[in-house]
Amino acid sequence: MSAARSALWLWASAAIFLLAALLLPWMGPGTISLQHVLSKTAPDYPIFVQLRVSRTILGLFVGGALALTGSLFQAMLRESLADPYTLGVSAGASLGAVLTLAFDLDRIFGFPALWMGAMGGAVFVLTAVGGASWKRGNLSGIRLLLSGIAMNSVCFAFILLINGLAHDRRSLSITQWLLGSIDSVNYAPLLAFVAVTLFASVIVIRQARNWNLLAVGESWASTRGVDLRQLTLIGYACGSVLAAGAIALTGPIGFVGLIVPHLLRSRINPDNRILMPCSFLLGGVVLATCDGIGRTILAPAELPAGAVMALLGAPYLMWLVRRRF
Amino acid sequence: MTPLLSVQQLTFAYADQLVFQSLNFSAEAGEFIVLMGVNGAGKSTLVNVLAGQRLPASGRVVLAGRELSAWTASERSRVISHLPQGTKQQLPFTVEQVVLMGRYPYADQWFESEEDRESARQAMQRMGCLSLQYRPFSTLSGGEQQRVLLASCLAQRPKVMLLDEPSTYLDIHQQIQCFSVLADLAREGVLCIAVMHDLNLALAHCSRILVLDKGHLTADFATCDAATNAQWLSWLPSELSVFRMTDGRPRVFYK
Repeated sequence: MSAARSALWLWASAAIFLLAALLLPWMGPGTISLQHVLSKTAPDYPIFVQLRVSRTILGLFVGGALALTGSLFQAMLRESLADPYTLGVSAGASLGAVLTLAFDLDRIFGFPALWMGAMGGAVFVLTAVGGASWKRGNLSGIRLLLSGIAMNSVCFAFILLINGLAHDRRSLSITQWLLGSIDSVNYAPLLAFVAVTLFASVIVIRQARNWNLLAVGESWASTRGVDLRQLTLIGYACGSVLAAGAIALTGPIGFVGLIVPHLLRSRINPDNRILMPCSFLLGGVVLATCDGIGRTILAPAELPAGAVMALLGAPYLMWLVRRRF
Repeated sequence: MTPLLSVQQLTFAYADQLVFQSLNFSAEAGEFIVLMGVNGAGKSTLVNVLAGQRLPASGRVVLAGRELSAWTASERSRVISHLPQGTKQQLPFTVEQVVLMGRYPYADQWFESEEDRESARQAMQRMGCLSLQYRPFSTLSGGEQQRVLLASCLAQRPKVMLLDEPSTYLDIHQQIQCFSVLADLAREGVLCIAVMHDLNLALAHCSRILVLDKGHLTADFATCDAATNAQWLSWLPSELSVFRMTDGRPRVFYK
């Protein structure tokens, strides 16, 4: 594929991302008038700015972070079914976050406790799953996925336990958070999340050429100019930051990290220089759209974005598994 | 003049197990060296040490007058290309993308330049896989995949090629083709070092043979001298004998 055509995909994805950012806030129960927004009239203006816009931004960046992390893990671990959800990283991050909710922690070392908890859980699970799957210098795909399943169950068992022991009020907030929904958030944490996500994403995407080499093999990569130890560290650190940041704000959301990179790899281009940025941009669009659908179809009730994603994603995963095994 | 590659008192051990010790040899540009030995003799380990992937327990590898450990990974990748053993067969990339990876060490932009593509095209042409260039790598046969990986190594335009069993999965015709390409490269001034098991293929195409046996280099000789002393075959338990063909080249026969 020529460089010009590859670049075209990048620009097209960026255009779709911007278009989604402009259009999705208008989707939802009850129409919002453009005139009222422009003239800053209540209630349209506050609904639009405080609820719809923040929610769309959150959806776009959470989806982007999860899809990028999916393509990152798939390249690093050479396993096309690896993503934060299947590896148990999402469950680990959830457990960490739920712990901070149960203990009513607000800040750890000056950082938001929810983030720190999610981060700790993500790192813990990645280490455990990686360690369990590492044998004689090789990572086995099937071992990764099965250890991921094991970690998933363990983490959710602990979450249930904590939830059972927690106070009613805390238990309610835990349950709500576990639904995996994209809710309106305040702009301060949202902007912090967007900044961290952009920073980590740029670091990951800049290494795209090296992820390509690593996807072929460690030996292949290390004699083509890659510092394996440093690259692996970058991958695990950025992967944890991206997944944990997204999960802390929304709860566990699956499938977006699996489906989006997979579709793009087979339909557009498997080269990570295109795959990774496009995964971020289009993963964001997919999740934000799922959230748009979720808040519209059952209005005034809401279906969490994670549930919409699962309804669409699970059949796709089954189709994928059938094709592969 | 300093040799292109020189190995001095090289010793390597895994945890408690000594793989080889006190190896000494040097190699010039233009040589085509075959490294032989039984399975588990440490041939791949030696190649990995030469490629800079593993650090020796003691001893030195000197590349172009400078100790290998003093080269940065990216400097090394512009001089040495390495074909590892047992690459995964389900790569998500197309043939062209795999071959273009040979140009990554020279990359200065986000995508490859037209010049890089031309290099890749020539390499594919040479390894006879140009017609496969837009195919997904995972749909190729084992032999085709091996040729694509070799083309990727060629596209790197190396001064030293380290090949770990390059003829894996190749049929006899492809093996001969592959080794004549490597012999041509050697004639153009590339130092080729290949691990392989086929004695006659080695005798027909290579200039020098090294035998690694029980942790030592037990033989190091020019291919044309193979018939004068069959002692170098002693690492193989089976009954073999060496004859000289009408073209003067030696061949090994099984009894």
